[in-house]
Amino acid sequence: MGGIRASAFLIIGFLLGAIGTAAAQTMSYADAVSQLAAACRTDLAKYCRNVELGNGRLRACLDAHQNVVSPGCQQTRAMVYASISRRAAAQRDIGRLCDADIERLCGTSHADAHLVECLLSVSPAAMSPACNQAFTDSGWRTERAQQ
Amino acid sequence: MIRHQIYAIAALILAVAATVAAADTRLSSGQIARSLAQVSGTSKLDLTADQMRQEVLAHIRNYPGALPPQALTFPQLANLAQFTVEINFNFNSAAIKPESYRDVGAIADALHNPILLGYGFLVIGHTDSVGGRMYNVGLSQRRAEAVVAALVNPFGVNPAVLAPVGMGEEQLQDPRHPTAAVNRRVQLINVGKKFCFGRSGEQFLCQ
Repeated sequence: MGGIRASAFLIIGFLLGAIGTAAAQTMSYADAVSQLAAACRTDLAKYCRNVELGNGRLRACLDAHQNVVSPGCQQTRAMVYASISRRAAAQRDIGRLCDADIERLCGTSHADAHLVECLLSVSPAAMSPACNQAFTDSGWRTERAQQ
Repeated sequence: MIRHQIYAIAALILAVAATVAAADTRLSSGQIARSLAQVSGTSKLDLTADQMRQEVLAHIRNYPGALPPQALTFPQLANLAQFTVEINFNFNSAAIKPESYRDVGAIADALHNPILLGYGFLVIGHTDSVGGRMYNVGLSQRRAEAVVAALVNPFGVNPAVLAPVGMGEEQLQDPRHPTAAVNRRVQLINVGKKFCFGRSGEQFLCQ
């Protein structure tokens, strides 16, 4: 079971790598961190027991043991932390990156949740590439559509 | 041979059914966000995290005993939007167990939902009744801080909108079963707008 799961993550990791980072979707934080917990279950128990998830401690522990953790854990760790960092950066910077787009396309200040309403209502082709990419990476485009 | 195949298919169907059932019980970040967004009043909360910690200690002094004779209540928080999640930690430790990583991630997804942008949250840690009451206050404080630390890094939630408070065992979820798992939980309470956002996303204190 662990082997199959590890292989699956290897394949997923390989596919994501093949598609290229620019086109890769970010995952929700819940999906990202549960993939990490699944792929690194044995390694976490062995090398990072009683290490806290927060303050970058878990990441530091996995980094410190990268030569001994399983290949599946190693691969998933890199993919998961890349996804988390990208999503967090997009959510942090989207106000700045989309400010001019929102003014131009919706004639309004983005301020709050209206940012998502505005960006969902316009065609991605009409948006600046940086704003479009940030909106994709933030996860707000697809998550709102699923509600 | 055919019988074996039928068994195999039946086992597969059971496995799929079990997976679907498990998926249904998983926390949804949309559900957390919508619960936390049900803001009733707009008045400023007249209670700080520090005052809450003082009241927890005063409650233990004023109502001594192996178990709290009555639950500590905060009338100021009674009508605020809230959401409670069972988080599993290692025994006597603030390290979140990997089985609970997903739920902490789901809380982070919810707090990043644009409908909650700018709101402030109490992050309240609760223990069961195993261990002394004073010890549990400290343990739950460290656990609430560990949840906040994870929400901030790696999950990028603004630390300025989160206030950890350790409630110990002073508000048992199930006082009749004080050692039950349901008591070990983390509670998020929306305390209202902490920040407003300007034209370019810069944040400032709401007036």
